[in-house]
Amino acid sequence: MDKISRRQFLGMSTKVGAATMFTGILAPSATSFFGLGGVSHAGTRKISEFNFAILTDAHLYNIADHKFDHILEKAVADVNGLANKPDFVLYGGDLGQSGKKEELAKGKKILDKLTVPYKIIPGEHDYYLDMGAEWRGMFGPEHWSFDHKGVHFIGMNSILIKDFWTARGLTPVERMGLLEELECHQCGAWGVGEAQLEWLKADVKKLSPDTPVVIMTHSPLWDYYPRWNFQTLDAPEIRAILKKFEKVIAIHGHVHQVVYNKIGNIHSAGLLSTSWPWPYPPVTLPHPDIKMNRVDPGNFEDGLGTHQVSLSTDFAGMVNYRAFADLLPANVKRGLKL
Amino acid sequence: MHTSKLVLVAFTALGVISLTTLTYAKSPRTEKQIADENKALTDVVAKGDALWHNGGLGTNGLACANCHPDGSASNPHTWPKFQTNLGKVGTMRDMVNWCIAVPMQGKPLALDSDELIALEAYATYTHRGVAIAPAKDEQHGAVPVKSGPGYP
Ligand code: HEC
Ligand SMILES: [Fe+2]
Ligand SMILES: [Fe+2]
Repeated sequence: MDKISRRQFLGMSTKVGAATMFTGILAPSATSFFGLGGVSHAGTRKISEFNFAILTDAHLYNIADHKFDHILEKAVADVNGLANKPDFVLYGGDLGQSGKKEELAKGKKILDKLTVPYKIIPGEHDYYLDMGAEWRGMFGPEHWSFDHKGVHFIGMNSILIKDFWTARGLTPVERMGLLEELECHQCGAWGVGEAQLEWLKADVKKLSPDTPVVIMTHSPLWDYYPRWNFQTLDAPEIRAILKKFEKVIAIHGHVHQVVYNKIGNIHSAGLLSTSWPWPYPPVTLPHPDIKMNRVDPGNFEDGLGTHQVSLSTDFAGMVNYRAFADLLPANVKRGLKL
Repeated sequence: MHTSKLVLVAFTALGVISLTTLTYAKSPRTEKQIADENKALTDVVAKGDALWHNGGLGTNGLACANCHPDGSASNPHTWPKFQTNLGKVGTMRDMVNWCIAVPMQGKPLALDSDELIALEAYATYTHRGVAIAPAKDEQHGAVPVKSGPGYP
């Protein structure tokens, strides 16, 4: 490994103190202490080493000079300034807050300042004012796939809810208003739906099982806390379709927090937002040692950040959470192995 | 215990025994009164719920629910306590006002206002049954909710 890629691999944070982790993390004991995915992944074919960045959940309001605008600007600048330049950026949804054209346009204007290309999926906050019309007009299809340096990338819209508004005679603004609440108890659970499941089946049909796969959805592909839609209704079907692969890396927005889970071949990680952090829901985490610290509400940047994901030749993933404030316990600061 | 025994003796002497009367420290209430009182509380909790989700308390569009879904991380069972942002031992109402003023960039409410009482009622109701733990340094989730608003 050369100097820069090793730095990435170690997931060094911007904080000076993290440098002291260097010796620790190189020792095998430190690796196994945090070795969730394991380092080597027999089975996936070799890829060329590269990294990409992720931003998500900006929740821009249609208010001029809003603090979240500045945080998204900062996040874009952070990614643009990465020493080990990412090949591209993924955006995980909830660019706007109330699905308004102005919010999405403002978000697009800021994201367009990225110096590398980006791919984006919608979140519920982008969608339920006009069922995604503005969003599609600006960003294109809600699901997509592409191949990059040997890795197959998939993005899907996981926030499709069964119509609860027509029977109640809700206006689009009322519908959006309900979905703006995380604990909306009239909305119901969301998922990707039949059409996207069919698309996914067809998309991966020709891929051999040793293909490294990265999938991004707005919500987690596992049952975390359905009350807050920390779930995807048809995640079991998605996992079944992806079961043939040796290894799948799944990344998701919506939870505004550090969280990790592994189900079968699927290694999944939650992301930091650039708006506000969510508290942990009242359930036991699958990996209680992988979480972020409590947040100082007096520091508007605390709980927020960007991400850089490095993939090694054997498809070992390392998520480097780039928190804007002192948010991460030492183990997460070193990087989350996927 | 002593008083109720005495009362019991007195009442027995008069030959008017009413056990229900004797077990209450204050005058008895009819089932209807109790139902009305519970309804009054639920109404205030519901008002607190509405305020909790209302961006109008601040000026930047944010509501408490943006950061405290289902009332979580307000930790009503830990107050009063020393809170770093307040810089003193304060009550939960002080902290609600601090969150209105700082993250929501709004105007604090009067400490005895109906609004603040309602917000406190909602937070407390969503943590019913959680043991009182003054100053406990933890972030507590609300009582898990399966469906509905989280109160009757
Ligand atoms: C932009 C996000 C944000 C908004 C909006 C917000 N808060 Fe907070 N608040 C926080 C954070 C973060 C904390 C610290 C949580 C912790 O202690 O882990 C906090 C702490 C608190 C606490 C103290 C918890 C403790 O144990 O110290 C209370 C009470 C509280 N908030 C109530 C409210 C209420 C009521 C509102 C609405 C009027 C509100 N907050 C709006 C982010 C917010
Ligand atoms: Fe979000
Ligand atoms: Fe979301």
